[in-house]
Amino acid sequence: MKIEFWGQEFKVNLAIGIPGAFLIAIASSMFGFGGGPFMVPLMAVGLRLPMYVIVGSSLLAIFFNTLMGSFRHYGFGNFDLIFFLIMFPAAILGGYLGPKIAKRLNPVTVKRVACVGLLILALQLLGIF
Amino acid sequence: MKRLLALLIVLLITTMLNVNAFAEAPKEQKQDVGSQPTEATVTLAVDKTKLTSGGKLNITGKAPAGKDVYIEVWAEETIRAARLDADPDPKTGKRPYIFYMTDDMPAFYRLIVPEKYKPVLEDAKAKGAKWSVSEVIKNTQAEAVYGYPAKIKIDRYQTTLWASIIGSRGTLLEPMDEKENKRRSMQLLKARFRSVGNVFSSNLKIEADGTFKASVELPANAAPGKYFVVAKVDKDIKSEPIVVENSVSFPSVYLPNAGRTVNVFWPFLLTAAITTFGVLMGAGGGFILNPILVMLGLPHTVVAGTVMPTVLFSQGTGIYNYSKIKFINWKLGVTLGLAMMAGGFIGPKLTELITLEQYKFLFGWILIILAALMFWQTTPKYLEKNKKEQAILKEFKKRAEEAAKKKEEGGK
Repeated sequence: MKIEFWGQEFKVNLAIGIPGAFLIAIASSMFGFGGGPFMVPLMAVGLRLPMYVIVGSSLLAIFFNTLMGSFRHYGFGNFDLIFFLIMFPAAILGGYLGPKIAKRLNPVTVKRVACVGLLILALQLLGIF
Repeated sequence: MKRLLALLIVLLITTMLNVNAFAEAPKEQKQDVGSQPTEATVTLAVDKTKLTSGGKLNITGKAPAGKDVYIEVWAEETIRAARLDADPDPKTGKRPYIFYMTDDMPAFYRLIVPEKYKPVLEDAKAKGAKWSVSEVIKNTQAEAVYGYPAKIKIDRYQTTLWASIIGSRGTLLEPMDEKENKRRSMQLLKARFRSVGNVFSSNLKIEADGTFKASVELPANAAPGKYFVVAKVDKDIKSEPIVVENSVSFPSVYLPNAGRTVNVFWPFLLTAAITTFGVLMGAGGGFILNPILVMLGLPHTVVAGTVMPTVLFSQGTGIYNYSKIKFINWKLGVTLGLAMMAGGFIGPKLTELITLEQYKFLFGWILIILAALMFWQTTPKYLEKNKKEQAILKEFKKRAEEAAKKKEEGGK
């Protein structure tokens, strides 16, 4: 598939893009996290698209998944309204505070800390740690 | 003669009334027997009938001497429990793929067994995730007294791979017989309450004369509403249920789908802190928030189903802002979006099918992959490339913003 973005043309390999997006969406909606951190590398490395094409379009693609996943979870009775009402404003607050703090921190350090944190959490889930 | 006849009639009527009572209310009949010295009754008392945000309930009573007494405590409030039976049949080796689900599981259940069975519970605890409710019930001789959950309505569906793909639960099968329902209810108890201590307790002391003393702790996160306490010796010899009311008041609220009471500030602070960190590390907060909530004891289905919609709003505003400066390629976004939509249709069905152990296992590996991706993003080679990319991104964004501004001015 050929796409045009700000006067430039890009070729998109759908044989990688569609199955990749599909599988990421299954995992993402199954466990209830956003698919961003997997979609961005898929589009950058798998589809060889530059970052300025990815940022907006990946968000749009993920939105489809979040919307569908939310409806399906609601249909299966997995949605707890009161719990949602507690978490929703907190998520908005986090989205407001995050970028303000981000300016003062070294992103590489943050990512390394996150890396260690994620590994600890993963080992705990796997029952090793 | 007249007097004799009248006496006879009175006698006849009383006998008939007694027979009626016998037929209609077997419980009352038992009490009648109990007033005679056959000792076939169980009396029961609790120290309080009102609790606020849980607390300890002391139970005392008297049963026929020398008999084992068991106490069942359950909440009126109900929750969902589900389990996919994919264990191979021991005879044929076939996996049945039957999905069992109930919405009538009590939000709290405890079977208190006599103190002498403490080793049975310890054994089950030592087995870790492999313990089984039916084994504990068998080894504590509680088969006859395990009562309330055995009768809940359990639906079962024949699931197939195809049914899961189209997001259906499968074909609803005929209701189970009493025995099967009882067996399956035990599996659902474990699926929902996970640990031995959440289903059983051996906090029950029985004296030689039949008096007994027990206590049960309703946790602070227990559901509000009525709790029933019944002492049983066997299927027929049991006490009348005692009702205890648990109340919960703000800032604690009960989450009906998650089946537990929480203080609103904790999930709020947790979510705010984790989403802030999520923004910093460039991944949504769900990666950290979901496993933590699951480890805190919330059902994984409710966690996935409730965290997911919280990002809808921020994603929506993001898309709006990018679209204003024409920074979205709709063809690309919608094409990949449709593939993701298909995935999003299937995923939630799978959440329901997997057990907590499978959830943890899969999520653990996803986090390891994510950690690897993040590590890759801190390697010097990636950083150099990213620096250039970010510079181009900034430049493009600036141009896009200017163009959007110009257009707006031109439109006026």
